[in-house]
Amino acid sequence: MRAKLFTSLAIGVLGLLVGLWLVPPPATRANGDKHEEKGGHAHMPAPLEYADIHVPTSVWTDPAMITRGKEVYASRCAVCHGDQGDGKGPAGVALPLKPPDFRDKDGVAEMRDNYWFWRVSEGGQVEPFKGKGSAMPPWKGELSVDDRWAVMAYQHTFSGHNGPHVPWGHPESIAMGRDIFVMACVPCHGVTGKGDGSVGSMLSPRRAPQPRDFTSAEFKFRSTPSGQLPTTADLFRTLTEGVRSSGGPMTIGLRGHRIMPSFQHMPVAQRLEVLEYVKSLNRGFWQRGVVKTVTVPAPPPLTPERLTRGKQLYGDAECLACHGTRGRGDGPSAPMLKDNRDLSIAATDLTRPARFKNGARPEDVYRTLVTGLAGTPMPSYGDSLEPDQVWDLAYYVLSLSRGGQSAQTGSR
Amino acid sequence: MTKAMFVIVALVVGAVVSAAHSVADEGPISGAVKAIDASGKTLTLQTTAKGETREVTIVLKPESKIVKFARPPESAKTGFVEQPLALSDLKPGWIVSVTTKHEGGNEVAEIVTVVLEKP
Repeated sequence: MRAKLFTSLAIGVLGLLVGLWLVPPPATRANGDKHEEKGGHAHMPAPLEYADIHVPTSVWTDPAMITRGKEVYASRCAVCHGDQGDGKGPAGVALPLKPPDFRDKDGVAEMRDNYWFWRVSEGGQVEPFKGKGSAMPPWKGELSVDDRWAVMAYQHTFSGHNGPHVPWGHPESIAMGRDIFVMACVPCHGVTGKGDGSVGSMLSPRRAPQPRDFTSAEFKFRSTPSGQLPTTADLFRTLTEGVRSSGGPMTIGLRGHRIMPSFQHMPVAQRLEVLEYVKSLNRGFWQRGVVKTVTVPAPPPLTPERLTRGKQLYGDAECLACHGTRGRGDGPSAPMLKDNRDLSIAATDLTRPARFKNGARPEDVYRTLVTGLAGTPMPSYGDSLEPDQVWDLAYYVLSLSRGGQSAQTGSR
Repeated sequence: MTKAMFVIVALVVGAVVSAAHSVADEGPISGAVKAIDASGKTLTLQTTAKGETREVTIVLKPESKIVKFARPPESAKTGFVEQPLALSDLKPGWIVSVTTKHEGGNEVAEIVTVVLEKP
């Protein structure tokens, strides 16, 4: 009796193991791509070097671009991806990693434009696609940016979607980022990203700084010229390093500590996902075209003459009006300073570089002087000072620090 | 009777598992042509799979096919036509996909498909 029971149990367990082995786990973003069975691949965030390359929205529906894309597709892509975009080109069916089916409406809808451009540009020669054995060639050497956009516009037509391929038309492409935003960012930045979360205002009531309004065009910490939106790398840096508090009545306990936390322990892919969602709150990121950043030249040697010139510039550029003679943020204009929301804002205490929100390395100070801090009274000196003068001023600013820290001061 | 059922189930499971493994080993191999030995009838590819890059030498037999696909010369026709190639037509750097079978410890090509002719 016992032997019979044991045998039945053993057969049952064996059958279960066979069954589990035969049935694949549900394909989700976490353990693969739910479009694998249609030849889809993991839709991961584009790396930072491609994150800012957004296709101009008009391209997707421009008949001339679609016609041009069709020609490129027919000569270069169709042999694998198929004339019908089904991934069943005569060479494609022979591949171990099958080309995706562009007719898969859901799969295409999840693909962001910068990811798509990355794939066309680098092909299967980058990870994780190379490790999966992708044979797709990189086209960046053969096709111009316009031609790559054109072929993407043509490929997009296979999905049956008639409008531009943008996140606000395909919310599923930013669903993961939105979920992360809801969990990690809403308390300060608010449900709609306008910086009106309930927690944020408690940290510094009726005073700056307040959480960033992502729907506005003003972002403080950038490597882009004055008046421009930040790069994705800028946003990534802020998200990774957090933002230190320079103090305020309700931030006494936080002074010097991060008023915005650091998310350095969040996996990189998740940080990139949430940034794609943040960017989707401001369509300007799709309308700006080629992104230009401020060039920071290599730091020159620090010399007494440079500090003397920097001190002169500190006066001439009216830095002491806000930051004060000794850089303590106690200049005559300091009590009257307001930010773009008409909130009182303190001039940074330059004697405490560890609290510099945009970083305290010489390169960071240089960048801040050139870009300014949008939304605050801190102007951009990019047009009024030569690069060498900016270095003079940057070194002088760092020399004001307590304890004599200067060019070797660390990060945010 | 029950003992016999147990043995049968175990055998079936074993057979299915080994069949699955043997099918997995014979998937197409794609990669870049590294070297061609026309006299020895071998083709060496640099291929990446499961995160590992390796070189694989594939033997070609008389029944092995090498093909590429091109547009038909008649402009009115769509689709692709299959064009046979000789081993000596292949060039280093070309991307190919090869369907193989195991024979006597070698990977023997059944069909070599040219995916991309790199200049």
